[in-house]
Amino acid sequence: MKEFVLYTGCTAPVRLPAYEAAVKAVLDKMGIKLIDMKGANCCGAQYVESVNRHAFAAMSGRILALSEKYGHDILAICGACSGSLKWVKHELDEDWKLRDEVNALLADEGLEYTGKTQVKHLLQIFHEDIGYDAIKAAIVKPYSGIRLAAHYGCHVTRPYDIVRVDDPENPTIIDRLIEIAGGTPVDYTGKTRCCGGPMLAMDQSLAVKIGLDKIRNIRNEKADGIVTACVFCDIQLTQVQFGEGVGEKERIPVLTLPQFLGPALGISPAKLGISFNKISPSKILAGVMEV
Amino acid sequence: MSETAHEPRNKIAHEPKSTFSQEIAAQPGGEYIRKCIQCGLCTASCMVANYTDKYRPRKMVQKILIGEREEVLSSELPWLCMTCRLCEERCQEGVSLAEIFHVVRDIAAREGHIPKVFKDTVNLVMKDGWLLKGSYTDFEQDDRTSLGLDPDLNWNEEFMKKVKARYFGKEPVEGGEQE
Repeated sequence: MKEFVLYTGCTAPVRLPAYEAAVKAVLDKMGIKLIDMKGANCCGAQYVESVNRHAFAAMSGRILALSEKYGHDILAICGACSGSLKWVKHELDEDWKLRDEVNALLADEGLEYTGKTQVKHLLQIFHEDIGYDAIKAAIVKPYSGIRLAAHYGCHVTRPYDIVRVDDPENPTIIDRLIEIAGGTPVDYTGKTRCCGGPMLAMDQSLAVKIGLDKIRNIRNEKADGIVTACVFCDIQLTQVQFGEGVGEKERIPVLTLPQFLGPALGISPAKLGISFNKISPSKILAGVMEV
Repeated sequence: MSETAHEPRNKIAHEPKSTFSQEIAAQPGGEYIRKCIQCGLCTASCMVANYTDKYRPRKMVQKILIGEREEVLSSELPWLCMTCRLCEERCQEGVSLAEIFHVVRDIAAREGHIPKVFKDTVNLVMKDGWLLKGSYTDFEQDDRTSLGLDPDLNWNEEFMKKVKARYFGKEPVEGGEQE
């Protein structure tokens, strides 16, 4: 049985706990064991990252060092966290002076970064560690007749040379999983564009415009729902549909990838936190479970 | 200029001459500025530029190349890049705008030009060890419990004190000490 240490990041446990629960339920079903990382800190994405490269390296570096103490590779479920951890790992593997500096800060706690563990985003676990065939074999209640738009998340797939998850121009993992679970993946304009989430700090109305651009493109393809693989993207694509310009009946449900896969694998809605979703995905799930 | 059709590209590459562009090129990630040919593919693929007139990535690189140091560092422009890196997937010259602007932010931060939201958030993380301590109330704890998740999030606050002391001095991002 493969084991990973789960780094949830700051946001998922508070703002999107259903995602965390669904990740655990689905990976457990697929034979992946997760251990919660305890005593972690923020990875430093965006904010500390923007103002001090060394402080950022120390923050993500400590998380990498903690995973070495656990003796397992890291599973990151947030795009920002997986991107940060992979980026800093790359830096610490290349820049030995920076590594020494980070390790000096970690020494008091008996932690050390040596580079022996890897960082994986959730999409990699499905693609590389479980595999499409095993997922296909585990589908007990396939979807039928529903159209879903995949949103991958910029920091999940870019820059490819560092994150190595999927083709950044034409990503396919979520689309393949939609297909395997019996749904119809739909292509749409601007599929690999940003959700606008990182703009929330500087200009909220601009962030909403960028998010709604994506929603409009998805609606044009008459999709029944959106499937995400990042905490921030999921929250952003949901929230922008509660502002002006989107009628209540026009809202498109946003589901995290494990919440979408779970029902087809026979996992109960309660375990997947379906009732926590702000836009009810009942139409999508009607065929596969009682919501 | 005489046409030398088959000259290798590195010979006709743009050579940034301004002191500011050289300052940026000297830092990790900043070297990409040497490759920019100012074609504007970045602006064309940028979602921020698509929805606001105030931000044009190509123009910001141009301002760096011609040495508009103060204008670039004191403006909000470097902070409007979402680092989505869509432009660099498209860039035919292999320029990473996110990396160039990262270096610009780093220099701006050192000289005290940091948007308030970044300053406040960095200070908060330095204090709490994570971003959402203030938002984690009984309601969220109950939600976690009902989902079968551990309500004790076990964040470490001590390490950030060391990070703060090492990189930001007493007053985090305002005129703090930096490497």
